[in-house]
Amino acid sequence: MAAADSPSAALRRRDLCSRGIRLAGKMRSDVVDLLDTYVERQGLDASASVAAVEGVPAAAAERWDEQTGTQRLLENLAAYRAFRTLLAQMLEEQREQLGDADTALGRALAAVLLQVSAFAYHLEELLRLESRGPPSEEGAGPPPLSHLTLFEKKLRGLGVLRELAQWAVRSARDLRQLSKPSPGSSSAPSPAQSP
Amino acid sequence: ESHIQYERVGADVTMKCGSMDWDAAVTWTANGTDIDESHLNGSYLILKNVDLTQSGQYSCYEGSSWHLKYQTYLRVGLPPKEPVLMCRSNSYPKGFYCSWHLPTPTYIPNSFNISVIHGTREMVCEKDTFPKNRCHIRYLQLFSTVKYKVTLTVTNALGKNFTTLTFDEFAIVKPDPPESVVAKPVPNNPRRLEVSWQNPSSWPDPESFPLKFFLRYRPLILDQWQHVELSDGTSHTITDAYAGKEYIIQVAAKDNDIGTWSDWSVAVHATPWTEEPKHLTTEAQVTETTSASTSSFMPPPTTKICDKGAVVGSGAVAVCWTAGLVLAAYGVLFI
Repeated sequence: MAAADSPSAALRRRDLCSRGIRLAGKMRSDVVDLLDTYVERQGLDASASVAAVEGVPAAAAERWDEQTGTQRLLENLAAYRAFRTLLAQMLEEQREQLGDADTALGRALAAVLLQVSAFAYHLEELLRLESRGPPSEEGAGPPPLSHLTLFEKKLRGLGVLRELAQWAVRSARDLRQLSKPSPGSSSAPSPAQSP
Repeated sequence: ESHIQYERVGADVTMKCGSMDWDAAVTWTANGTDIDESHLNGSYLILKNVDLTQSGQYSCYEGSSWHLKYQTYLRVGLPPKEPVLMCRSNSYPKGFYCSWHLPTPTYIPNSFNISVIHGTREMVCEKDTFPKNRCHIRYLQLFSTVKYKVTLTVTNALGKNFTTLTFDEFAIVKPDPPESVVAKPVPNNPRRLEVSWQNPSSWPDPESFPLKFFLRYRPLILDQWQHVELSDGTSHTITDAYAGKEYIIQVAAKDNDIGTWSDWSVAVHATPWTEEPKHLTTEAQVTETTSASTSSFMPPPTTKICDKGAVVGSGAVAVCWTAGLVLAAYGVLFI
């Protein structure tokens, strides 16, 4: 891990982390706006409870403070790759429903998809810096939705966006942890103090 | 036999004198004072439409022997109304606390039971020793979309009531106000005030979970606040203060990404720097100095020699250090 520990690598890591934190913040803000648009255009109740959706990576983490930097990056990357596919699926469904009409919802979905893709790439860069390199993308895509009713698809979309909003917050936190000075990227940051 | 009896305000209460027959001759006392026979029905004590003032110790004595046959402590009170519950995280991501109170008193002891459910998991809420109406929950998960459901049940001898709060992890995050707010004038700057503060000590990890701040300030003579939002750092320089006016300044904090703003900090007061007015004594000393004998010439310490500002009034002459030394030297020569 000598390359990962070099001063230039450390500077590059901090720079990537800072930019990543800004990206995550912008992404979160846009996802929150997209959620409002989605709820309104899909005729949903904003407070509707959505059960855990199959294939959607949950942002919830136990012992989050004990994760290593590499674990954080890998979990984030897996999540954003999944969201990239899920959002593309939602966009496709949107277009199927409304034809080629360039709706505000469609545009907002496309914009967030772009940011998710950019963030995934950003994470890959950070992993390359860790001399680990990003893992190859898994071949299996999201589960097919043809068996779901239109309403179930809408609820699923709500679940996807809510989870993405949580991930955007978590990612900013993960990158802040990563940008802290530490002995090595694979060592765990100090856990949160107990009460 | 002594025990406690709880009755609702407005109730009609009948007390039996233990195992004594209805027609036994007895005397009832309330807090040691005999109760009038008009309140008796045989040996039974009848209290109609009881109120809070009738709480106390009631004793029944056998008529002739004055043996104590029965004693009870009557507590008049009310069943609990729906409690008021609030939950907040001022120590994110460590945990959150919930606190509660009753909107109106019951006047009798109450017990509280709180349950915290997150998804399918029941979490432990550790009760604080002080204050007693508060408990803490440690986060077992972060960044969860699953809501927390907190149910508080209050029970007393006359009834029970409950309330439920449901919230997201992020929604209850509210830091304590910033601490150690200090505001100081900036020397030679009549329109500036330097403000600094510290993160609230209850916020466990400001490096990983940075706070942003909101500063508000106004001169005491005006009602309208100026606001500044600051995304990093724990200091700020106000550059548009009105010269010479005393200001009141406060700061609030919020997690950079989630939750709500804290309450405002304790207010601090400060007045921007102002130039000191010229002192009359300085002028007089300059005049005396210039008219004194050169042999004893010594510039006064408060006078700025060669400073234009130190020269005031007609007739005063500014004397440079160099000239003064020369004159002093001549003075020595001529003594």
